[in-house]
Amino acid sequence: MSDWAVRVHDVSKRFRLYHERNQTLKSAILRGKTSKHEDFWALNDISFDVLAGHTHGLIGPNGSGKSTLLKCLAKIYWPTSGTIEYRGRMASLLEVGSGFHLELSGRENIYLNGSILGMSKASIDARFDEIVEFSGVERFLDQPVKNYSSGMYVRLGFSIAIHVDPDILVVDEVLSVGDEEFQRRSFEKFRELKQHGKTIILVTHAMPVVRDLCDSASWLHQGELKHSGPTDSVVDAYLKSVKS
Amino acid sequence: MRYLSEIWRSRELLQNLTNREVRGKYRRTALGQLWSLANPIAAILIYTFIFSFIFRLPAQIGDPSGLNNYALWLVCGLLPWLFFNRVLTLGTDSLVANAGLIQKVYFPRIVLPLSLANATFFTWMLEMAVLVVALSLLGAFVLPWLPLVAVFMVIFGLFSVGLAMVFSIINVYFRDLSYLLTVVLQFWFYLTPILYPVELVETQSDKLGGLAGAPITLLDIYSLNPVEGFIEIFRNLLYDNRAPELSTVLIALGWTLVAFGAGAWMYARKERMLAELL
Repeated sequence: MSDWAVRVHDVSKRFRLYHERNQTLKSAILRGKTSKHEDFWALNDISFDVLAGHTHGLIGPNGSGKSTLLKCLAKIYWPTSGTIEYRGRMASLLEVGSGFHLELSGRENIYLNGSILGMSKASIDARFDEIVEFSGVERFLDQPVKNYSSGMYVRLGFSIAIHVDPDILVVDEVLSVGDEEFQRRSFEKFRELKQHGKTIILVTHAMPVVRDLCDSASWLHQGELKHSGPTDSVVDAYLKSVKS
Repeated sequence: MRYLSEIWRSRELLQNLTNREVRGKYRRTALGQLWSLANPIAAILIYTFIFSFIFRLPAQIGDPSGLNNYALWLVCGLLPWLFFNRVLTLGTDSLVANAGLIQKVYFPRIVLPLSLANATFFTWMLEMAVLVVALSLLGAFVLPWLPLVAVFMVIFGLFSVGLAMVFSIINVYFRDLSYLLTVVLQFWFYLTPILYPVELVETQSDKLGGLAGAPITLLDIYSLNPVEGFIEIFRNLLYDNRAPELSTVLIALGWTLVAFGAGAWMYARKERMLAELL
């Protein structure tokens, strides 16, 4: 095996399903305990490596645990057991425009959102023009974001996120934002990142995208890792199971 | 320590989130930041009318400043309280209010209450600047005490945000807290010597003597309130123009350490679970 960029090792994630979620003081005091719950394992002993410079797809039906795994990879959830190691800086793109302040202008939001995503002011300054150019909202840069059309909002958010320039990028199904033209440019951007040797992990339901972009893939089913390896073999096995 | 270095690394984020609060708040208003002075001014007018004109509280003479002005005396205690009140109210809600962000992006969660406290601190600084001008115009010699005022503002800020941090985490588990807090803060306000001098409590306390035969007086219980010491310090510095008592300062420092320590400890322990708890 050559160099890995992300190593997922025996990751399990337990959620508690609350039957009586006592989120009020009254119920806590009356019952003398905070809650009744049952455990639900969303992920079970998942292990795989993503090689440096590879694009890795996470596939599986709804409820298979892809999003949970992605959130673990993005450091939003912490695995109940197991570890995830990174070689390089990781950034995640789970939603575009997180933390936008609607009353603030596009310009101010680029700095705000950029720093939430972990960019320094210097690097935002350096990439400011690129971000604006890619988003195509130059004319409205000093307008409050609340006046943006939903397309402009999403494009600006996506453009900031894609310019964070991490070594490892964790992406949810955000490729499907914007119009045809913007989607085409987004794909180009992903290819460009790939050419620059970035490692990308993405969740998607679109198998053509997986085949097109990914070098390797992992197929999750009910919290178990069914198959992980080269894209074609994983996707073929997955599609076969879905049809049968 | 690990936590302090993490806060340090996210200082740009902290600054940007602070800017978001400060700039976003008064957008599209004609008076902008001036609105932040509206509440204190209204409170000063009302309280001065009621307590100084109608109830005729004993005159508060600044020693050694010689000031005799109830409104100014009141404001020296009221401004710190209003800051404390806002930090606690906003800070307690800071995690729940930003649930969407917490569930989508990783960043040190502690910046949320900290940025709110910073933005509120900024407003407080404006208010204090106006107060210092007013005090100077009316004859107090405040300027030499300003460095100490600034130091205690920071200390009081740490105390307030520490408490807000603790509350913000508890509020994730028990959403009642933010509502309960508004009620508690009402009691807290009137149980702190802001509108009236602490001497009035002392008089009553002396009349009562030891409570239930024990050597504990009403004043002893009253003085457990950590905010009381801070108010005294700010009044000493601003209104009286003298150094606060060492014991008061030490107790205030102790409370600050406890509050901020507890807040940081809770974040270090609970931060990773916040996304799923919200």
